[in-house]
Amino acid sequence: MTRTIHLSLDINGRRHELDVEPRVTLLDALREHLALTGTKKGCDQGQCGACTCHVDGSRVLSCLTLAAQVEGRQITTIEGIAAENGELHPVQAAFVEHDAFQCGYCTPGQIMSAVACIREGHAGSDDEIREYMSGNLCRCGAYNSIVAAVREAAEMA
Amino acid sequence: MTIMEPRKHGDASDGTVGGRQTRFEGNLKVTGGATYALEYPLEDLAYAILVQSTIPAGRVISVDAEKALAAPGVLMVLTPDDDMGLLVASDWGGNRPDNQPYYPLPRQVQYNGQSIAAVVAESREQAVEAARLICITYEKAPHVASFNDTAAGEGKVMDNLTAGWGDAEAALAAAPVQIEGEYSTPREYHVAMEPHGLTVKWDGDQITVWEPSQWSHGMARSYSEWFGIPYENVRLISPFIGGGFGSKGAALAHGAVAAFASRKLGRPVKLALTRPQNFTNYGGRAATRQRIKIGATEDGILQAIVHRGASETSTYADWPEQTGAATPILYRIENFSSQHRVVPVNAVTPGALRGPGKNPSAFGIESAMEELAYKLGMDPLELRLKNYADHDYQSGKPWSTRRLREALTEGAEAFGWSRRSHEPRSMRDGKTLIGWGIGCGTFPVLQAPSEAMIRILRNGRVEVVSGAIDMGQGTYTILAQTVAEVFGIPADQVEVHLGDSRLPGSAIAGGSMLAGSILGAVHKAATAARDELIGLALNDEKSPLRDTGANTLTFSGGRVAAPRDQGPSLTLSELMAALGRDEIEILRNTLPEGATAQEQHQAWTSMVKVQGPTMGEYSMHSWCAHFAEVRVDEDFGTVRVSRIVSAFDCGRLYNPRLVESQWRGGIIMGIGQALLEEGLVDQRNGRTVNSNMGDYLVPTNADVPHIEVISVGIPDYGASALGGKGVGEVGIVGVAPAIANAVFHATGKRVRDLPITLEKLI
Repeated sequence: MTRTIHLSLDINGRRHELDVEPRVTLLDALREHLALTGTKKGCDQGQCGACTCHVDGSRVLSCLTLAAQVEGRQITTIEGIAAENGELHPVQAAFVEHDAFQCGYCTPGQIMSAVACIREGHAGSDDEIREYMSGNLCRCGAYNSIVAAVREAAEMA
Repeated sequence: MTIMEPRKHGDASDGTVGGRQTRFEGNLKVTGGATYALEYPLEDLAYAILVQSTIPAGRVISVDAEKALAAPGVLMVLTPDDDMGLLVASDWGGNRPDNQPYYPLPRQVQYNGQSIAAVVAESREQAVEAARLICITYEKAPHVASFNDTAAGEGKVMDNLTAGWGDAEAALAAAPVQIEGEYSTPREYHVAMEPHGLTVKWDGDQITVWEPSQWSHGMARSYSEWFGIPYENVRLISPFIGGGFGSKGAALAHGAVAAFASRKLGRPVKLALTRPQNFTNYGGRAATRQRIKIGATEDGILQAIVHRGASETSTYADWPEQTGAATPILYRIENFSSQHRVVPVNAVTPGALRGPGKNPSAFGIESAMEELAYKLGMDPLELRLKNYADHDYQSGKPWSTRRLREALTEGAEAFGWSRRSHEPRSMRDGKTLIGWGIGCGTFPVLQAPSEAMIRILRNGRVEVVSGAIDMGQGTYTILAQTVAEVFGIPADQVEVHLGDSRLPGSAIAGGSMLAGSILGAVHKAATAARDELIGLALNDEKSPLRDTGANTLTFSGGRVAAPRDQGPSLTLSELMAALGRDEIEILRNTLPEGATAQEQHQAWTSMVKVQGPTMGEYSMHSWCAHFAEVRVDEDFGTVRVSRIVSAFDCGRLYNPRLVESQWRGGIIMGIGQALLEEGLVDQRNGRTVNSNMGDYLVPTNADVPHIEVISVGIPDYGASALGGKGVGEVGIVGVAPAIANAVFHATGKRVRDLPITLEKLI
């Protein structure tokens, strides 16, 4: 396959133009074509959650989403949630404070999931947070701290 | 007892050694700004994909790459027909055969999932498409799928792992109470969130490799030896690693393939293993089995332990997963016998995975101890305390520090162990059976020489520079804390540069040996740099501190001054400006004085200088005791871990906040080992069936309760310069038996083969 298509993607409030093959995923478009490498590839088959982004405010697995599917939609990645002046999003700040990560590789996906989890109203209790954050694997085992960080950020929201 | 609860707000002491400073690189990791190996933008990048064998044993007859080569965007196909002209590199011990060719894409197939060919294309998508078009013809040979295969045989005895003293068989036969059990663990995998892979680029005969690495110097050495280029020509860059757990300490075949392709194409190449390829391109923890016999008196005093264990290895290398590693040192034992075998099978050579050896070993002995406790009708906590080892019965040496008694008693107190009812199935909540269990763990203190550089800059900032790595254990943070303490400055005035083989040499981040080793070098270099600055400040005629008459200076609150408020105080930048110095740079290592350049190179790139736990006067280890509560559905046999309290003796903690995270991480991996993790092999073809994260189950957030961790350690200055013992490995050791013992207490069913899945309980 050599055919490319032209895409215009709205990512973190900015327009990005790119020419890619139609089979390129949103994840590979971000990482390989747009130098937005904050979104991570852990499995490339929808099992680990490391690639979690927001499309129109809802969490999606960018490894299972074709870039061509999200034209005209609002895409948010980990690079787009802190304030313009660099001040961390409350979920990001809570992750640092509670040491909710070690290696940091699942962290962008965890944070994108956490922001959506709170917005969905699924952060009402520790058990609910555990359940709705279970699509994001963390092999370093930061789960206790992730729950604490999400709970704190949810209380502040 | 110190229960470490997270504190909301820090104080000034957080920036010194032992403080609860938040993670130094935290902001980079939560904003997506931390750059991992496959995230370096390079011009003209090509993409490589591996093709793996689909038979377990035999020979590649031919590779038909015609269609692949004709596919769009394809630049190159590499097969066993390509002689890459590489030579075998040194092993961990620094041993290297002379001029032995190395074939990273071999003709001989030794296991299913072995890399046989590679495709390089303009894009990853094109490489993946072309890889599917490659057609390999094999000549098949008989295979051994696992050590349970009837063709596997008994394997061979590892003489170096045979241990014994007293007369174990006779003492066992004479013991009035005896138990015997066989315990087994399946193949387990690292499943680091970041898959293996690398980006590689040549400039003439200089190579730069961006690759996740637990040991930048050791891996750089492999590249230099494979390609026959000077060590100095290799630069391996690895400032962030997305988890390793033992899997990222050595350069692997796919690294050689990518580097060769890059050199041949004259272009940078990126090669990423797919998630399934991560299950066969390097080895996880070997499957193990062990038979344990314990003899005891009727009041529970151990008389003898006889242990016979075995683990799988590959057909081409011996890697023992030492099932008798924890067995001899947890308890007072006068008569002991242990032997370990390796059984070759058609699988990739296993590797080190968190708590290697100690982990399956503890599953055996700690399960067996509870079996003995129930046979005696004795509280398992009492049995353990009754047989407390006053010294190391294996080496005969005294412990350096051993607070396992405190771990057991303080852990029991925090858990509420005294409220336990002894009989199995005697604690329940409706249809849910509740069980409590204990598992102890240990891991040896390993020490290795390291080197570090300190630079005091004119702007008052202090840099610490080391080739050590941080895969989440906290190296950045504790190095900053150490330097901040020496100079009396806040940690954010320190810059930390890590993860580059061009930087000063370091111990591997493995075997829990990095923190103790590298902090020794950093502290030595920082103290020397401070002394250099003191000398200048007291003697240089331009120094405002020269006339104070002091013979030393204090470093506190960001200022340098004479003791007892004699004269002025200056910030580091004011002092450097007054001295007219742009930089003070000091390099120190912890090798003996006068070590040659050759000895230094050997120290940073091999394991020959690593000191074991009993090489000095003492026997030095970390210790822990885990207390687990499980809730088992009586009808369905589903097990949930509802509570864990773990108490640790890891000596002095350099940063309790980060240590607690690592302990919890080890415990959670132990929950996975106990209940979920199991590599499944198709006996017909030796294929790893569940080679992905949906079928090889690791713990999710919902699988994990709140875990309370307690430190009972005291500084151990024999174990390391700053008093710490290892933290990362020991956390997992003893978790699986604690859970298995709790499951027995809940259900009355003893599961001796991990994982404890529901069909074993109903």
